[in-house]
Parts: sequence; structure tokens; C-alpha cells
Amino acid sequence: MRAKKPYTRKKKIENRKTEVSPPTHPSPSRGEGKGGGGNSELRAITIHGIINGKRVPSRILEEQIQQAVKDGARELHIITDGQHGIGGRIWPRSASGGRGETVKITVEGPTGQRLGSMGMLGTEIIVKGSTSDDTGWINCGTKITVLGDVTNGAFNAAAQGILYVQGSGGARCDTMTKHNPRFDPPQAWYFRNVGDSFAEFKAGGIAVVCGVNPRNPNNILGYRPCVGMVGGTIYFRGPIQEYSERNVKLLDITPQDWEWLKTNMKTFLEAIDRISHYDELTRSSDDWKKFIAYTPQEKRARRWFKMSTSDFRNNFWEKEVGQGGIFAPYMDHELTILPYITTGKDRRNKPVWANEKYLPPCVYNCPTHIPSHKRAALLRQGKHHEALELVLQFSPLPATVCGQICPNLCMQSCTRGQLDKPLSIDKLSSLALDLPAPKKAEPTGHTIAVIGGGPAGLSAAWQFGLKGHTVNLYEATGKLGGKLELCIPRERLPHEILEKELSRFQEIGVNIHLNAEIGQKKFEEIYKDHEIVVIACGAHKPRIIPFPGSEHIVSAYDFLKGINIGDVPDLKGKKVVIIGAGNVGMDVASQAYNCGASSVITVDIQKPAASGKEMETALAKGTQIIWPKFTDRYDNNEKKLYFKDGTSLDADLLVMSVGDVPILDFLPPSIHTERGWIAVNEIGQTSDVKVFAIGDATRLGLVTHAIGQGRITAETIHYQLMHAPRWPEIKQVIPYERIKTEYYDVCRGEFTSPEKEAEKCLSCGKCRDCRICEVTCYWGAISRVEHEDGSYEYVVDDEKCIGCGFCAGVCPCGVWEMVENI
Amino acid sequence: MEPATRLDHNHKLSLREFPYIIRWRDDRCKRCGSCTAVCPVKAIEPTVKVQRIIQSEGPVPTPTAVRRIVHVIEQVTDMERYCTGCGACTLVCPNEAIEPEYNPQNKFLHFKNRGGEGYKRGGRKNDPSISTLDRLKFTRISMLTDPALDAGRHEFRVRTLLGRILPPDELPLRKVNGKLVVDKEIDKFIPPVREIFPIMIGSMSVGALSPPMWEGLAMGVAYLNEVEGLPVVMCTGEGGVPPRLLKSRFLKYITIQIASGYFGWDEIIHAIPHMVEDPAAIEIKYGQGAKPGDGGLLMAQKVLKLIASIRGVPQFVDLASPPTHQTEYSIEEAVAKMIQSMSMAWGFRVPVYPKISGTKTARAVLNNLARNPYAAALSIDGEDGGTGAAYNVSLDKMGHPIASNIRECYLDLVKQGKQNELPLIAAGGIAKKGNLAANAAALIMLGASAVSVGKYMLQATANCFGDEYNRCNLCNTGKCPRGITTQDPKLYRRLDSDKVAERVVEVFKAADVELKKIFAPMGRSTELPIGMSDGLSVDDKAIAERLEISYAC
Repeated sequence: MRAKKPYTRKKKIENRKTEVSPPTHPSPSRGEGKGGGGNSELRAITIHGIINGKRVPSRILEEQIQQAVKDGARELHIITDGQHGIGGRIWPRSASGGRGETVKITVEGPTGQRLGSMGMLGTEIIVKGSTSDDTGWINCGTKITVLGDVTNGAFNAAAQGILYVQGSGGARCDTMTKHNPRFDPPQAWYFRNVGDSFAEFKAGGIAVVCGVNPRNPNNILGYRPCVGMVGGTIYFRGPIQEYSERNVKLLDITPQDWEWLKTNMKTFLEAIDRISHYDELTRSSDDWKKFIAYTPQEKRARRWFKMSTSDFRNNFWEKEVGQGGIFAPYMDHELTILPYITTGKDRRNKPVWANEKYLPPCVYNCPTHIPSHKRAALLRQGKHHEALELVLQFSPLPATVCGQICPNLCMQSCTRGQLDKPLSIDKLSSLALDLPAPKKAEPTGHTIAVIGGGPAGLSAAWQFGLKGHTVNLYEATGKLGGKLELCIPRERLPHEILEKELSRFQEIGVNIHLNAEIGQKKFEEIYKDHEIVVIACGAHKPRIIPFPGSEHIVSAYDFLKGINIGDVPDLKGKKVVIIGAGNVGMDVASQAYNCGASSVITVDIQKPAASGKEMETALAKGTQIIWPKFTDRYDNNEKKLYFKDGTSLDADLLVMSVGDVPILDFLPPSIHTERGWIAVNEIGQTSDVKVFAIGDATRLGLVTHAIGQGRITAETIHYQLMHAPRWPEIKQVIPYERIKTEYYDVCRGEFTSPEKEAEKCLSCGKCRDCRICEVTCYWGAISRVEHEDGSYEYVVDDEKCIGCGFCAGVCPCGVWEMVENI
Repeated sequence: MEPATRLDHNHKLSLREFPYIIRWRDDRCKRCGSCTAVCPVKAIEPTVKVQRIIQSEGPVPTPTAVRRIVHVIEQVTDMERYCTGCGACTLVCPNEAIEPEYNPQNKFLHFKNRGGEGYKRGGRKNDPSISTLDRLKFTRISMLTDPALDAGRHEFRVRTLLGRILPPDELPLRKVNGKLVVDKEIDKFIPPVREIFPIMIGSMSVGALSPPMWEGLAMGVAYLNEVEGLPVVMCTGEGGVPPRLLKSRFLKYITIQIASGYFGWDEIIHAIPHMVEDPAAIEIKYGQGAKPGDGGLLMAQKVLKLIASIRGVPQFVDLASPPTHQTEYSIEEAVAKMIQSMSMAWGFRVPVYPKISGTKTARAVLNNLARNPYAAALSIDGEDGGTGAAYNVSLDKMGHPIASNIRECYLDLVKQGKQNELPLIAAGGIAKKGNLAANAAALIMLGASAVSVGKYMLQATANCFGDEYNRCNLCNTGKCPRGITTQDPKLYRRLDSDKVAERVVEVFKAADVELKKIFAPMGRSTELPIGMSDGLSVDDKAIAERLEISYAC
């Protein structure tokens, strides 16, 4: 078997040395160990890759090469026949075990793939012809000289060593090369050109492409070199087509580069036997360019876009579609970007200091719209007298009505009631009892007639009088007051209070005509003599619903009026039944007990309308309320009232209390009526524009309704007479949730003083000047401005305000409101 | 019945019924009001609270009561001002003091019908579960069996064809001197075909979108075509097209939609003689995946100068788009005449295709189109598609998922041997979870030639807050906090069309890379793997069976 081995031992090697001598190997440009230089016993050997026409397998040839080197061969001449991986993996050897001698290998014949792969430092390979793919694969230091072409993948993943190529490189040469800092970087020199995809993912090392007589004269680096290249340098000379611009930059070479090239070029050219081109290749540094990879820092700093979109807009888009873009012709605003938080006109919402834009519930619900919140505000300012007098501007009878008989709708709706108890508006009004009449205005010269001296007429006449108009007030009876005088039980309304307020009424100089019965003729007279006639005749005809026996009943009106004028019936031990359980019915019941009745029962066909003090008083005295009861008949002999359901009640006295209607027989046909009432619009005007009607003559209501209608109608007439016609302003009520009751502590005490009470007022919808908005506004957009007349307002600096709504959200009085900013 | 006393909480809803609950941190808030200024629906407002603390400091009970007034941010319990969870408050809060939190126990739909009106909104189907598209995986990886490509290194183009493709034997070709040339003497119609990027921007109208949003999309598309060489097209939706665009060269990147309202179409027709380029295609909308059978209504208050001019209507009128075309009654009649009309308008040089909502009847439409030589494609919009305004019930409960719909249509074409002739376009729920390229690739491998994306574009390019937990979805109200779907300049001026365009470019460039990352390892580089269903798998046997793909687990 040994005889078949295709190599000869030592002695033969020596013999052959002269036979096949390798060309003189030029020294590499950089320091390469010549550890074996001292050994004079360089032994040469020839290894045959083909024996007797038969190819030696790659594995056997590899074993022979390794064995030969182990046996001391340092110059190997290998005749190949396409074997794989020739000349690689020869680890440095020396007697001392350190860096070894140089092993020189000359290759002749066709080579297989991966010649010199994993080649080590100290190995030098000269190939006398072209090589196959992957020459110098993962080269770890071998110097490979190819006196021909290298095909695809040459120097792939090379980390050290040198590749000299006399011809061209194939595709994907110099890909994945590295530079390990422990060693010098790998170098690959190509005399002619290289193929496509050169230097992909190159991470280090130097490649030189000289571009002499290139196979593709237009492109010496092939299609798309340097894709993914991250390190190393490529020097080249000659035309290229394209390269991976994302990875590498194309630069001129520096003087240092030039020095290095010139120095190492000589070694290269000598090695490939082309020294004659030295002058041509080193003629000018301008012939050379280089690629180096972008550093990671440069890549990170790189702008990702080829062109910014705003440049695209300016240079492409708007050049084609026009200035401002495709929608510009329709835009009537600035073409700028807005932030999310905006001020001025760009806010979505803005605050408005809507002081007194809305009515507080007390004012809104009072038919007379008495501004109790302003009364409280005056009290808080220490203006005691002005505060108490304020009510007289609205009503001539505050102590009588607000203080005594009114159900006080103001207090029922008072926002404070949701917190603890409503403001004692009744008590504040009672405090006005002792005040004189307010100062009246200068005479205007206008004359007005008011027919009827009840609450409505008094209210209207009072307003006219205060405003300086001359008023003729006609009252059918001998006393002013209407039903206050005639029908309201004295126990509910102490007479001295009414009388005191009626005497104050007379202070304003109204011409009072008592016992003035108004018939058609008299009305015509009045109509002619006055600019305006206000009818406030009230409702003084009791309604009687007829049924068998109804002729025996007494009306509530007559019953109550009789008592008030001193005609008190004796009801001792009597049983009284009242048909109609409203508040008048309750007054009748109370009075009946006062007159000695043993029992009082009120009946109604529906849920009783009675409420408030009237009902409380009547119930306290023992009044029973029964409903629903439909009256059938009254037997005067039995003194029994029968109902349709067959039941009955004993009734010594039967009172009917189902309301009163006005007596309107004095009206001319031009003044229309509707179901027995004078028809009016919301300001009290009748079908005759000169004639107005108010109070019970138009519909039944509370005394406060009569006072309210009187005031509002009088005010409207006043504006008309003064040539400033206007409709009475009806404001909306402020919603409860806008009042922040949280600011106020719950009070548990009773009314003590007006000043204390005023502190309790929540000032709904009216600024109480607490400055919370000013303090709260984060942006400092709100400030308080005081005017010369002492008035103030809170103003918003639109350029600071962002429209957040904090002012509106925290205002105790609900004054601030947010509106859309348009 | 009359209440016994004044009522307080009797009719109030509790916050627990609401879909989003505002978490506000008293300790962080500086009361600057940014959140309340920016809340699109005024769901939060500043208000006053009182705290009462009883203290007792001495060794024996010595109680004193301390009142403290605090200003707070409070969420209202008014169904008309419900918090939509958009999170604009969180966005602007300088102190991270506020954020809406989703309340999975909400009973929102129990109450959102005040005034007898069903809940209407924008967005897409509220269903956060994983869609079929997101369950599909690409399981046929080429390694040593056939060459795989490196998406990052190899250059290859991802393109598709929009338009009807004649089979080779039907092409009027003649051999002249050994070369194939079109024989013009044979009077054979060669349908127009466009080579485009297989992901298109779906139809969203001027009006549904704000001016900067619409222009940003269009500009991004122009950039992609002209700077990046990526032939992306965008569909206009039906709401008119700005004349400046119609008369520009950019029109070639635009597919114009005609729907049932015909808004702006007179203006488009007027502009035809002034067009320097043909549009990419014409889309005839018959249905919308998000709201099959539900029409549209642009409220009068949104019909401002811009919308009125572009749509060719007076200002401040309601603009109704009926669910159906008024003059069309059957597939045979309707589709044929619409395709004819639209083809004729541009001299048969522009591909014209209908879009329908996903439906069990899609195959019937397809089979009709397969016989119509002028039909350029069929676009099917699945139930997960988005809309600017629809009844919630239409959005949530109406429609057909896209995956099986596109698959059965494709397999129908395969049976007829026409799978390479009539392209299918798939839409509806693509990139619902952000997987744009993967969803697109899956649909392509199920049989679509291209896909269309709308809602995702708004989310990815303009930071649309909307999601499938009913977040925001205010598109129909004109109060879009991002300025995407509003005509209010105060809102839409928040949106920078340059930024939108930039994001469009980024989205498509990334999608291009990702599609390559999917197709390259599967060994496809020169042609789109349309219908390459052997590359797909799913971990659900029923889905695998229905889609005729393999089951893998």
C-alpha cells in the first residue's frame, strides 16, 4: 500500500528540488513571520493529485499534504485534479513549538473549491493558473497568489492573510471579510475586475481592484457591490455603475492611502508577474477611489428620507397642484398647525362672565320678580336701608303679602333650601313695614285710570305713582285692599299690617275714588279722560254650581266677607260642610271654627288644591278633607248633603267655595272676554290697545300674582308712555347645578338678623365678588376691573385663556358660563 | 307619577355603566385645565367638592369639624357626554394626572338610544378578539429544498396587476420578424392594466376625512410613487375630488370612487378635458364592509364651503348617500351599465371595478363579472372594515369576514380557470392588530391580487385613537380629537399633512420590506404568490378546512 502513496520521501524531495522549483515568492507587504527562515533544511516535495490517470480523493490528498508537512516538508509542489480545500489548515510548526517556518505550496492543475480555505499564517500558496470557487475561504493568514482568475466567492469570510489575483474575481468575492484586532486585516488584490455582489457584508479588511483590462469595461465592481458592508476599505480604479449607497460612501483617496497603495502595489505586481504595470497603476492618485462603510454613528444620524415631505410639498406637490395644496382655494383660515391647547380665537370654547344673565330661582318664581338676592347683596355691603327699601320698588304691600299671606314661591324654590333652609325672605319683607314710601319721580304729565283698589290695582297704581304719572284709582267699596280687606281672615293677616301698608300707599299721591261703582257710562267717561285704563276689578261674583238644594248654600266669598266686615255668624255646635277644598275653602273652614262650629268637613271632586298656611291652620283646628266626592243634592230639611255614591254628610251650614268670577258688565264690546274673564296678552293688554287688565279680572291667582301682573303691566305701559316701548324682559332661571352649594356650611339656626340672613344667600347667578375665578385661573387670564362708577366686572384676557372652564366650574354663583368660541 | 320630594339621584346613571371611567389623581393635578379644554365631548369638567374632617386632638374627645373646599376634575354621568376613552386628556396633561380606563362591565349599549335613536358611531366592528387573518401563519419556508431569497440583500419587486388580464391565447398577437406584436387589425379589446403595489389605500372621502388628512394621504402616495418608486394607489371615496388634484399629474396614483350619492361627479366630469393623466382606476361602490346596506349621511353642519364646493352642492344641507344606487336593480343590469358608463368616460383606458361588501352572495357577483369583459376586478370589503359613520348595529353585527369570502371567490375562479384573469381585491380588517404586511400577504395567498386598507392608515399615519374597545370612535360627530375626521378647522388644524405624508411613506416602505421578508423565505420574488395557499397554515381545524389550507400546531 505504501508504495502506492503518490509522494516520495525526504531524499526524493531533495532530488526533486531542482526538478520543480517554485518561483521566488515575494515577501508580503506587512510583517509576516519568517520563523522558518533560519532553517537551512527546507525540504521540497511533490505531491500528485492524479496517479495513473486516476484522481486522488480530496481526503487522501489532504492527508498526504498534512503528513508531508508534519514530516518536515516546507516546499510542496502539488499537482492537482480538482481536489477540495488544497493548502488549507497547515498550522505553523517549529521545533520550538512557536511560530513556525513558512510552508510554501505551489499548485499546478485544476483546483477544486475552497483552495487555501482556513489557511493559516505561515502558509504561502502559489497557484499557477485559475482557481475555483471560495478561494481563501475563512482565510486565517495564508498568502495566496493566483496566477489566473478566481471565481465566485473568493476570500469569503477571510479574516487574515492575503489574496493576490492576476486575473479577475467572480461574483460575491470579498464578502463577509473581517478584521480581528489581534491580527493584521486581510487583503485581497484583484488585477483586473470583480463580479457582481462584491464585498457584501464586508466587515473589515482591504480590497484593491486595479481595473486593468477589465472584462466589463463599464463596470469593474459588478452589480451592486458593498450591500451590507459595515467595515474595511475598497480601493478601486476604473468605472463603476452602482453600489449600495445606504452602506458605503464613495471617497477620494487620501495621501496616506496613496502611500500605502504605492508601497504595496509593487509587492502585488511582482507576485503576479505584472510589475510592468507599476507606472500605469501609480500614475496618479486621481485614478483611484475608495469605498468605506458608514459608521454606525453616521447611520444613526442619517436622515431616513430621501427628501423631507415638506420639501416634497414645496418642490413637487405644490408646484403641480398650486400654492397651499389641493384644498387651499376653500380655506379661509391660516394654513398653520395648531397645538392642542390654544388661546384667543383658536379656542374651542370661551368663558363669559354672565353676571345676572339668569334669574335666581327666587326671583324667577316670584310673580312680582322681587330681587331678593340683590336685597341680600345690599345687606352684605352694609346698605341696610337700601336693602329693606328695595322691595317697595316692586310691591306696595311687602309686609302684607310677602310677610303674611303669600305662600312664598321664592322660598319654596330657594337654592339654599337644598342645603339647609331657604332664606327667610318673608321676614326680610316684613321688615319693610315701617318704612315710608320711596321717593317718587318727577311728574310726567301722563294720566292713567286704574279701576279696582285690590292687590292688582294697588300694585299698578303704586308703580305709576312712583314713576311720576297721575293716577285715578276707582274703588267700588269704601275701603282699599280688595279681597285682602274683604276675604282674607284677620288671623292670617293682622289688620293693622294691612292698614299700615295702605296708609303708606296713600303717601305717593294717587287720587283715590272710593265707592266708585263703575257702570258702562262711567267706564266710557273714564276711558275718554285717560290715556290708559287699567282694569283691576277682581272677581267678586261667587261661582255656584247648581244642584238640587243649592239655593240654600252660602258662598265662600259672602261668608268670609261677612266676617271681615263685622257680620259674624253664630255657628255654635253646628256642622259645616264646604264644597271645594282650595285655600279659600280652608280659610272658610278656619273661620267656621272661629265662629263656634263643632265640625267642619271640606269635600272636593279631586285632589284638594289647598296648601301652605291656609291648610295647616284649617287642619290644626280639626278640618277634615274628603275626596273625591261628587255632590248629588242638599236636603235643607234634613240638613244633609248627599253624594252621588249614596253617602251623605250632616250639614247645618253648606258653603260653596269653588272660586269667584269677575263682574264685567261695564265693559264695552270692543274689550273681549273669554269664558267670563277679560282676554289679555302676556303684558295685560286687552283687545283695546288702550285698555289693560290685570289680577283676578283676567284669571284667578294668588295675591302675589295680582301684584306681579300689576307691576309688569305698569312697567310696560310706562315704557310706552315714555316712548321707549319694550317688552318686559323674561330671563331664564339659572339651573340649580350651577350654584356650588359646597362652599357653604349647613346652618341649623333660625332667623336672627337681616345681615346674618344675607350671608346665607347663595347669590344665584349674581356675582358676589369673591374672586375665586381670579384665584383659580391657572393661566392668570381673569382679572377684576373696577369702573369709575364703583361698579366692577371680571374680564378675560383671551390671549391667556385656554377655555378650560375652570372659572365656570368653580364659580359659587354660577355666573361664569362656557360658550362655543365662534 | 308625581315625585314626593325633589329628586336627586333617581334618574342619574352611575359611572359604572359607562364604557370609560376617568382616573384622576388629585395628588398630581395642578388644575391647569388642559384636560377639560381638550376633551372633545366635555365628559369631564372642573367642579367643587367639600370635604369635612372631624378632628379630635386632645386626650379626651375634643371634636372639631374642619371644612375643606377642593376643586376637582369630575366625569359627568350624562349619556350624551359619555367619556369615549380617547385619552386626549392624558395626551395633554402635563402631570400624568388623568386617564380614562376601560370598564369592561359597562352597560353603554343599554342606554345609548336616547330619543329613540340607535347608537351611531365611526370606527370598525368592536371586537377585540384575534381575527382569522391574524391566526394565519406562513409555514412553507424554503431552505434547502428550493432557493430562498434574502429580503434585505436581494432586490425584488412586490407588484400586482390591477385590471383584467387576457389569457395569452386571447391576446391579438402576431409574429413579425420573430417578434410578438399586437395585431391592431383584429378588433379585440385589450383591457387596461396597471402595475401597482399590492397594498392600496382604501376609499375614504373628502368630507369623511379632514382636508389635512386627505391631502396627507394623497401627498404620501405621490411621494411613494415619485421619490421611492413604489406605485401605491389611493382611492378617493365618494365625496368629490379637489379640482387641483384632478388636473394634476398625480391623478394617475388615484382611484376615483363612484358611490350611490354621486357627490362631486359633475365636477369630475367637467374636469375630464383638463386631465393630464388618467386616474389609476375607477371603483364603483355597491357596498361597504363596515355597514352593509347602511347608507351615509353627512350632516348639514359639516357641509361647509369646502365640502359644498367639492361635492357640488349648496352649503348647509344634509347629504344622504343611500345604501343602494337608485337606478340599478340587478347584477346583470346594474354592474354592466355602471362599468360601461365609467369606462366610456375615459375612453376605455382606465380599469373599472366594483366594490361590494363581504357577503355570502359575493360569488354570484363574481361569476357575473367573470363574464363581463370590461370588469377590471372585484373588490370585496369584509365586515371588519371601517367607516366614518354608521349605526352601531350595522358595524357590529352586519357583514361577512373577508378571509373565507375571498377564498371561496378565488377557488371559484380557479374552477373556471380564470384565477389569473380577474383580480380580486380584499379589504376589511387588514392590520386590525397592526400586522399590515402579514395580513396582506395572507389574503394574497388566499387568492387576493391586492388589498385595500383604510382604518389602519388613520391609526398608523395620524395617530387615530380608535380601537375595538369602542375607544373614541367619534368620527361621525365631527369632533375628532386628532383632526382626522372633522371639518372644524380648530380641530383639523391639529393635524399636519406633511407628517401624515411622512408616515404614509414609512408605512408603505416598511410594508414593502415586510412583504419581502414573508415572500423571500417562501422562495417567491418575481411574482406575487397569489393563491399560494400551500404556504399557509392555521392552528384551528375548522378554519383550515373552510379555507382549504393546512392545519399546523
